[in-house]
Order: sequence, then structure tokens, then C-alpha cells
Amino acid sequence: MTVTTEVAPAPRRSSRRGASFRDAGPPVALIVIFGVFAALSPQFRSFGNVQNIVDSAAVLAVVTCGITFVLMMGSIDLSAAGVMGASALTVSLLVANNRNGNDFGFFGILAAVLLGCAFGCLSGLALVLLKVPSFMATLGVSAVGLGVATLMFAGVQPNISDAALKGWAVERFLGFSYLTWIAVACILLGWLIQRYTRLGRYAYAIGGAEEVLTLSGVQVRPYKVAVFALAGAFYGLGGVMVTSQLGAGLVQAGNGYDFSAITAAVVGGTLLTGGRGGVLHSAVGVLLVMVLTNGLVQVGVSPYWQGGVEGVIVVAAVAAAVIPQRRRNQVVK
Amino acid sequence: MKKMAVIVSLSLTAAVLAGCSEQQAGGGSDTAAADGACDPSKVRLVGQVRNESNPYEASWLTGGDTFAKSVGLTQERLTYGGDSTKQQEQISQILAGDTKCLVMNVLPNGDSDTAPIVKGADQAGAFLVTQWNKPADLKPADYKTWLSHITYNGEESGQQIGDALAEKIGSGGIIALQGVLDTAAAKDRFKGLQASLAKNPDMKLLDQQAANFSRAEALTVTKTLLAKHGDKVKGIWAANDDMALGALEALQQAGKTGKVAVAGIDAVPDAVAAIQKGDMTATVSSDGAWQGGIGLAIGFCYATGKLKVADTPADDRAFFAKQFLITKDNAAEFAQPKTDPADFECGNVFNRKVGPLT
Repeated sequence: MTVTTEVAPAPRRSSRRGASFRDAGPPVALIVIFGVFAALSPQFRSFGNVQNIVDSAAVLAVVTCGITFVLMMGSIDLSAAGVMGASALTVSLLVANNRNGNDFGFFGILAAVLLGCAFGCLSGLALVLLKVPSFMATLGVSAVGLGVATLMFAGVQPNISDAALKGWAVERFLGFSYLTWIAVACILLGWLIQRYTRLGRYAYAIGGAEEVLTLSGVQVRPYKVAVFALAGAFYGLGGVMVTSQLGAGLVQAGNGYDFSAITAAVVGGTLLTGGRGGVLHSAVGVLLVMVLTNGLVQVGVSPYWQGGVEGVIVVAAVAAAVIPQRRRNQVVK
Repeated sequence: MKKMAVIVSLSLTAAVLAGCSEQQAGGGSDTAAADGACDPSKVRLVGQVRNESNPYEASWLTGGDTFAKSVGLTQERLTYGGDSTKQQEQISQILAGDTKCLVMNVLPNGDSDTAPIVKGADQAGAFLVTQWNKPADLKPADYKTWLSHITYNGEESGQQIGDALAEKIGSGGIIALQGVLDTAAAKDRFKGLQASLAKNPDMKLLDQQAANFSRAEALTVTKTLLAKHGDKVKGIWAANDDMALGALEALQQAGKTGKVAVAGIDAVPDAVAAIQKGDMTATVSSDGAWQGGIGLAIGFCYATGKLKVADTPADDRAFFAKQFLITKDNAAEFAQPKTDPADFECGNVFNRKVGPLT
């Protein structure tokens, strides 16, 4: 038992000072980009807009929180879009809505999150039992999720009338919407899991050196499934949050979130090869991406240019962030 | 091992059988298509759209079902999830089956997807009606069984809702939410807005952003633009209703519901409901249920010989169909998508033509 409680830290984390230097890239990029936009546009630096950026970042933050654990492990997860769609439809059909007489309130939300968790579990099981690469397993689960969502949709969009859930997007506490506070709570929870639980430590270790872990007698497979299940639960919550924002359950609720979340995590400094990064890194990445999309609109870049400009800045930001660790970044093959 | 052998031989038999029926079907189709005298009960109706997960295309398929039922048939409902390859596969599968008296009402995924569909249907002698997307140089008049292409004038609808906004707000600034920028629908609708702006000089365009026809993106973009322009925004022009509904949510979150006029296009049920409630100003309906029925109705009329391709004027082979501006005055009529059986009678199938497609 003593063997399992002490996880050997990944070798690359040996120098604490080196690690903090490498971690400084994304926050510095965030501050620089924020500064540039603030100088260019007075509306951008208004409190209202900062509020708006943070509020808009809420859903992406929760989804990215989930995906970060998977990336830390060195796997990839493309199931967010499908899982979010299924959970959006589930929650919108279980809380007060215009399609049926259900009014389960909080339990509806819980059911949607658990559904997400189950989908994640499915991805994980496909990975460890059937040996399907995570890329394909999660892509398949995403398609299943979208299929389930389409079945539940059945041609009529469910609009939610549950005051509490609608309130998440509208009500404010200390100037920020409830959704933002939920996202903050998720990041905190994610950080605690990553820092203080065996699950979080093992996720790191699997990404860093899975063989070492296996050789030291750790059963890796249950932890892999658990990480995917945890990620799925975050996507499920993300789907609920989108539903609250849009006031309706959409099959497309999670459209684009899979890749935005991976982008945000990587921009924040989480490596696709695993073993590095974390929830806080990802949170910075999310803010970076949101500041960028918001700033480009605020300074009035033409919509015809935005997509391209955004792409260039993201690549530049990642390049700047990973230069200190280029040697380690095996994805750059 | 035994089990294996059984499975293999079974599947081989199935493959051989399938091959045979294909050939038979291919041989018989030409004659039936040429004289157009199918027994009405033998006509096979196929409706194909992207997916059933949006109300517009769902109402399209429902309209097809309603028509099919009115002639004692059922519609085969196909959806391809917005995936061009999958659409082509489905079409080839259908065409590989019995194409005798086959009628297809198809929504091609994009302009470039229309050509292979038309070619396949032409070879198989299947009756085809396409809607919305086709390249300009591909013309139904050059084909025997591609009966008609129906589309809508996006400039007209873009201008209609622009004018409706101008009427509502009088003077002031508006913001525009564009669709996917490289689609014809987005371009034409925005052109219509520009025409409307020229006609209503008191209405100013403060900003325009792409929200890719998506409710979620429209929510974010609208919030950003509201933060940028504040109370100067008096109206929001959206290139479709999903974005208009996203904008409505953004207004609600900013505490501005009802203070800013919102207009969209497509007449999805939620938008019509929002117009009835007074939250939204206007939308334009292409009448999805009618679209779903009309393609099958046209095909049915030709397949059964009630209409003849040779007698059909070129204008009917590719045309703009009528669209309807929905405001608070007439929203109740559009609250439930429904079809009028009279529209689908062979003498009336081209009644909604407002102009030839040029």
C-alpha cells in the first residue's frame, strides 16, 4: 500500500524554478494581448466588457477543465460536442419545459451531469478494454451522443421555463453571472482533484511515464476510465450551462467546444503528449482565447479577417509559450 | 466454424440477390420514366434533408409525410447530418434500388453536391426536385427527369426584415449578425440588408459580425457588440432565426428584452412565438412544410403522367418561390407549420413561383 500512495513525480518536474519559468509564458501572453486590446479600444477595457469576457468564458472553462485531465494523461478527447448535446437535451426535457410535464429541477441537472459521466465512462472503457485509441473512441462516443440527442429532440426544440436554471445565465452575484461562479467552482474543484487526489496525481503520472507507473505495480486502467468519466461529467455540466444560456436544449449545444477546449488547454500550456499543464493553465488558456475573440470584435477587425487573424495569434501564442520546452514537445515531430 | 460458414454463405446469397434486383430495377426504369405513367400506388417518395435536429428541416419532412399520406403513400425520410459524402452515398443507395417511379425531393448540402445527384437521378430515370442549392450553370431544363429547382430570393428576405426593423425603430443604429460568410444565403441576405439601409437612411449599421447561423455564437457576438456600442443599438438584424434567438437571450442577459428590435429569417417556431409575444419584430418564412410537400407533389404529378415535361415552361423548371414576412399581425397563422392540400394539386404546384431563377 505504501507504494501506491507515493507517486513518483515525473522526472521533468525535478527543477521547480525551471517549471515556474516555463509556466509563465501563457499568463504573460494573456497580459500582453489584454494590454494591446485595452490600448486600442476604450470599450474593450470597460468593466462591462471585462464582465462580458469572463461570463462568455464560463462554459468553455468548464469543458476545458474536463478535457485537461484527459490531455494530462496523454490521451485526447473529442467527445465534448456529442456529450454536451445529449446532456443539453436531457436537462431541457427533465426541468420545466414546453415539451412535457416534467419539473425535476435540480435532479434534472444532476441526471444530465451523470449522463455525461456515463458517456465518459464509455469512452474510457472502450479505450482500456477494447484498446480503441482514445481519438477514435471519443469520436465514436461523440457521434453516439449526438444520435441520442437527436432522438430526444424529435423535431421540436424543448425550451426551458425552469426559473432557477434560466437564472444561472441572467442572475448576477458580485457583478458576474452565476455561470461564471459555477465555472470558478469547477476550476477550483478541478485543481483540488489534480493537486490532492490520487486520481489527479496518477493522471499526471500516466501522461509522464505510464510504464514506470505500471512497473511499480499500479493498476492504471481504472484510473484511465475514471479520468474519462470525470471529463464526461464536466462536459455534461457544460451542456447544462449552454442550455441555461440559450434557454433551450439544442443538439448543437456543444458544437465546436471539443476543439476550442483543446485549443484553450494547449494555449494554456498543457501538452498534448501529457504529463504537463493542469487546470489552472487551462483556465489561463480559456481567458486568452476569449480575450482574443472579444478583442478582435471590439477593435473592429472585419469579420472576413477575424478567423484568419485569430488563428495566427493562437499559433503565435502557443509557439511563444512552448519555446522553453520545445525539446519536450514531442507533438512537434 | 460451422456458424462462420453459415454466416458467410448467407451474406453471399444476400449480396447476389441484391445484385440481381439492382439489375432488374435498372432495366425497367427507363420505360416508366419516359412515358410517365406510373400507377399512383407504385410511386416511391423520398425526402432528403440534412438532419431532423432543427425545426425547419423537421417541418420539411413532416410536410412530405402529409403529402404522401394524402395520396395514400409513405415518404422515406433520409437525413445525412450535413455531410456531403453521406448524402451522395444515400442517393446512390436509393438509385441502386428500384428507381421505377422514384420521386426524390432533395436538399443538396451545398451547390457542388447538386451535380452528382442530378447526374445519378438522370441516369436512373428518377424524378428529382432540388431546393435551395445548385450551381448557376446547371439547369433543370437541360435534363429530362430533373423536374424543377426551387429556391428563395435571399436579397428579398434580407431587405424585408431590414425594412421591418426600420419601420419599428424609426431611426437609430442596428447591428447585423451574418451567417457563414461564404454561403450564398449569407451573401444574398446581407446584400438585401444593404439595400434596405440605402432605402432607410435614418437607420445606421453600427457593426456587422459573423455568427455562422448559430444560436450560441450569436449569443456571444451580440453580448460583445452590446458591450461595444451600448445603448446606441436599437435593432438587431440576423441572417437567420437561430441567431436572432441567440441575440434575444443576449438581450435578456443584458436586461434589454423588448428595448431592442430583433429580426431574423426562416420562421422557426420559437421565433414565431417570440414575435407573437412581442420580443421579436419580424421573420421571413419559406414555409418548410410546403417545401417538403411540394417537391414530392411535383414529382408525383410527373410520375403519374398528369404533368408532362415537354409541356412545362422553362420558368417552372427553376424558380424563386414566394416567401412570407411574418410580423405580429400575422404570426398566429404561422404558429403551427401546416400545409394546404390545394397547393399540392397538379394544377397548382407552380403557383408559388414569384420569378424565374436567373
